[in-house]
Amino acid sequence: MTHQNSIRIVSYNEIAMIELDQQDSKVNKWSTGMMLRLNQVIDELEKSSYKAAIFISKKPKIFIAGADIDEIRSLKSVQEFDVAVKQGQTIFSRLEKLNMPVIAAMNGAVAGGGCEFALACDYRIATDDSSTRIGLPETKLGIIPGFGGCVRLPRALGLAGALDIILAGKLLNSNKAFKVGLVDQVVHPNILEKTALDFARTLIGKPKRIKRFQPKGLVNQILESPLGRGVIFSQAQKSVLKATHGHYPAPLKAIEVIKKTYGFSSIESALEIERKAFCEVAVTEVSKNLIHVFDLTEMVKKQTGVENSSISGMPIHHLGILGAGTMGGGVAYVAADKGIEVRMKDISFDAVAKGIKHARSLWEKLAKKRVINEFELQQRLAHVTGGVDFSDFKRTDLVVEAIVEDMEIKKRVFAELASFVRPDAIVVSNTSSLRVNEMQTAYPYPENFAGMHFFNPVDKMPLVEVIRGDKTSDQTIATVFELAKKMGKMPVVVKDGPGFLVNRLLLPYMAEAAFLLQEGQSIDFVDKAYVKHFGMPMGPFALMDEVGLDVCIKVLKIFKKAFGDRIEIAPFMQELETSGKLGKKNKNGFYQYDEKGYRKEVDQTIYSQFKIQIKNSLSEKECIERGIFAMVNECARAMVTDKIVNTSDEVDLAMIMGTGFPPFRGGLLKYADHYGVDQIQNALKGYSIKAPRLEPSPELGEIVKKGGFYKS
Amino acid sequence: MDLRDVVIVEGIRTPFAKSGTQLAGVHPAELGRHALRELIAKTQLNVDLIDEVIIGNTGNPVDAVNIGRVVALRAGVPLKTSAYTVHRNCASALESISHGFDKIRAGVMDVVIAGGTETMSQMPIMLPKRFQDLFGKLFAAKGPSQALPLLWQLFKYDIKMIQALLSGNQKDEYFPIISVMKGLTDPFVGINMGATAELLAKEWGITRKEQDLFALSSHQKASAAIKSGVMGQEIAPFPLGPKYDQVIINDIGPRDNQTLEALEKLKPFFDKKTGTITAGNACPITDGAAMMLLMSRQKANELGYKPLAKIRSYGFAGLEPERMGLGPAYSSPIALKRASLELKDIGLIELNEAFAAQVISSIKAMDSEQFAKDKLGLSKKVGEINPDIVNVNGGAIALGHPVGATGTRIVLTLVKEMQRRQTQFGLATLCIGGGQGGAMVVELEK
Repeated sequence: MTHQNSIRIVSYNEIAMIELDQQDSKVNKWSTGMMLRLNQVIDELEKSSYKAAIFISKKPKIFIAGADIDEIRSLKSVQEFDVAVKQGQTIFSRLEKLNMPVIAAMNGAVAGGGCEFALACDYRIATDDSSTRIGLPETKLGIIPGFGGCVRLPRALGLAGALDIILAGKLLNSNKAFKVGLVDQVVHPNILEKTALDFARTLIGKPKRIKRFQPKGLVNQILESPLGRGVIFSQAQKSVLKATHGHYPAPLKAIEVIKKTYGFSSIESALEIERKAFCEVAVTEVSKNLIHVFDLTEMVKKQTGVENSSISGMPIHHLGILGAGTMGGGVAYVAADKGIEVRMKDISFDAVAKGIKHARSLWEKLAKKRVINEFELQQRLAHVTGGVDFSDFKRTDLVVEAIVEDMEIKKRVFAELASFVRPDAIVVSNTSSLRVNEMQTAYPYPENFAGMHFFNPVDKMPLVEVIRGDKTSDQTIATVFELAKKMGKMPVVVKDGPGFLVNRLLLPYMAEAAFLLQEGQSIDFVDKAYVKHFGMPMGPFALMDEVGLDVCIKVLKIFKKAFGDRIEIAPFMQELETSGKLGKKNKNGFYQYDEKGYRKEVDQTIYSQFKIQIKNSLSEKECIERGIFAMVNECARAMVTDKIVNTSDEVDLAMIMGTGFPPFRGGLLKYADHYGVDQIQNALKGYSIKAPRLEPSPELGEIVKKGGFYKS
Repeated sequence: MDLRDVVIVEGIRTPFAKSGTQLAGVHPAELGRHALRELIAKTQLNVDLIDEVIIGNTGNPVDAVNIGRVVALRAGVPLKTSAYTVHRNCASALESISHGFDKIRAGVMDVVIAGGTETMSQMPIMLPKRFQDLFGKLFAAKGPSQALPLLWQLFKYDIKMIQALLSGNQKDEYFPIISVMKGLTDPFVGINMGATAELLAKEWGITRKEQDLFALSSHQKASAAIKSGVMGQEIAPFPLGPKYDQVIINDIGPRDNQTLEALEKLKPFFDKKTGTITAGNACPITDGAAMMLLMSRQKANELGYKPLAKIRSYGFAGLEPERMGLGPAYSSPIALKRASLELKDIGLIELNEAFAAQVISSIKAMDSEQFAKDKLGLSKKVGEINPDIVNVNGGAIALGHPVGATGTRIVLTLVKEMQRRQTQFGLATLCIGGGQGGAMVVELEK
């Protein structure tokens, strides 16, 4: 399509107001077409008699969102990337050299290529709207800024400031951006255009701005000295390696580019180095995987949770919560934080007060970091109230049950609840191990009943499993799905079945870790293998401590009942049940914990307690493979026979958002496909000689037949 | 049945707590929010239907000057709904109900929240006028050469303030202004509320013993009402932030172990030599909030509510500020007349206990032909009151008197008890600092 109207010049006498308004999209982004149009606009400006130019967006809450990810995805080879990046670099350089002052007047997202565009302008004015977020998130997609960001940002902000932004890939609000020197002025959105025009008039006839970071104060001057720079680079390198265990090449590449080019007098040769480095990381598997993860999150934004496109979720204004414990309080927080009125019910006022306290303490943390102010804290807190009866529940649109995990008690509560809520209200259970189909029978309107499984801690864990019971209606699923999104969560719809999706896959993994220990691998050996080599956020033993050892054993038993002999429980786990070890919650598990509940060293007494001789005779590879492949094997069963979820995308999203499965691997099934499902099948066959539970499933065989999980 | 009848659908309050105790740190807007939010919860009311929120308050906190609006918004009342604050001193929360009554009766509104909130513990201590003038100059000072002499002046004032504090002489012009005390001093005649009660005690010949016995009975009745759970029916337990380590369930004030001997031992507080008013037979300074849902009968029927009572009338009257305690004797006959009722028709009374002496003199005045003739211009007395129907669950001497909230509290306590006893008519009345009385007559909804 032609982008004639996507970037258009509106004349204000001597000033060109250039409106960004991409015609085929809700947002402005740098596609090849948009780039070529920008190039035309620069031609027109060069030939015109304009004395100044202002770029402004006509899209709500978006200045420029970045480069077009669809285009990045379509590029395969280094040559293809090189052509595309060179085009962008060249056009931005033309903009930078334009013979008139250029102002970026920015409201909304100024991300990636959008930020690099703004850096090529002479001045940047940003609004103080909460939608205005400025930065370079490229490293989160496994690439580096390639349109001059690695070159221009350090020149504008200095080394330390630029590395902070590029390596973390975070977006700054306008006040923060002003503080670090990324924008020159912050204004209210209503006066953005006028301020830019007034400012442009003052610039007419003045020489072009020379952008060069000037360190102020002794500390900054030292940091900018050759010695200081050396320290900054080595510190940056160290902290990146510590955070990523070397699994993410992009931040390291960005450091390398900046190290090479900082101080170059020729922008052109600096850009060439940046471009070469960009192409190197852009073709890596890691980048493809991270873009896949990005696509998964975008996919959720577009989904409604149901196939029928005529059904959309009802808005939830008022939420009831049964049980004001850790989960209930956490759900209260994520709901009230988004303006939803919350009513909790528990058996005592003290319990209710604890729930309110839980939510308050989370907002206090935000207030301390100045994310919210005192008034916002009070407003949010006022949304959370509670009592010991069902008063207010007639006003609730949806009720989340978060009481004790006991089927009989839950069923009784649902039956009772029915007379205190409107018949059209939706009721969901936050159960992690009980069956939605059975609970549903206790509620007189089963079509309005579903599961909504939050993960602990609710405020941090992005995944919500929306569990569809046999009788749950599409309308209910769509509403719960929409609510989860409103809470800032990533919902995945799963069919009812033991452990739903995430716990069903995690359990064989944790059970296998227990066998590794039983066979003589030490707890640190196994956990370290998973964290350092595989990239898990924590190893299986630390995870079991988090979940609670009692819960793990309880769920294992539920699984054994459901799936029979193929579930095996390591002998010491049986003893563990009566050992008094509960994990993190009683600060006594595989690990020791300090008073604040932070994980410390492995509890070495565990080996003698359960008479385990530590040999560490297995390779790290075997330790990892047995656990991960057990998950893959179980996933094939869950998908092919039980149809817990329909797509591999959903599994990968759920595992990354619910367990922290390493994003650079693209998810469990992307990893499996990349490794080769036939290889996995063979490996499992080998392991199953000693351990029959690892026998590859017939379902995995079917996956192998079609060539991988992602093959249709 | 008149569809424009004004009915009380439901009411609720926070626990009342003696100042300086558990609720002392809670902002009055927060107390009000809790009471209103729990009223909404209890009635499961669709908040979009609320036409107006009217809140009584006297302390007028500087960070929430129209506290009615703050309470409404924090409690989840929609932005579109108007809210305001009323101040009629001790009757502010009766004033709020009477506003709602008039607006519903006139047909301009159907659903009104009326109530009141007060954290007397948080009434500020202010600097004397000369400090204010000095600060005014200091803020305008340009450069150290102007500021330094003023700061030296401030230092000298500070020394004088310390001297005044040490002397304990509150009339000293350097003594900080304690606004709660200032508020309890009549600005027209310049005497303290306690002193007005002393005057009534002398004029009506009320002994110290009578007053102490009255106070004792207030504590006994209130304690019994708490124990039996009767009081709990009008209270929404308050989770005490920011720590939330306790939930206030009952009023903090009534003492179930109160003895007459202990009351008799107390020294007179206002007139140290010949006085009879003590801290024991006067109400304590208190923190608390109360809220009430008013509707037209038509609306209540439409929404399927079963109201507690119907408001028949209200009445306010003025009298000599130094005799403000007699206010109930002036306002009650007005309200009764408007309701076309007589005192003998009334089966239950809440007469606010600012001071025992003031309650007893009000009852005596209403029983006096002379008083009726001289002061009310009536040919016969208002009527005799059976003490057994007055404040049956105790009164402000035990429960406390958060000035801006009491009006709603006494109407609430009255209608709840009328429901329990199935009493047809009830009267709530109180005296008002500044020389006024307020009264409201309600009729049971069966």
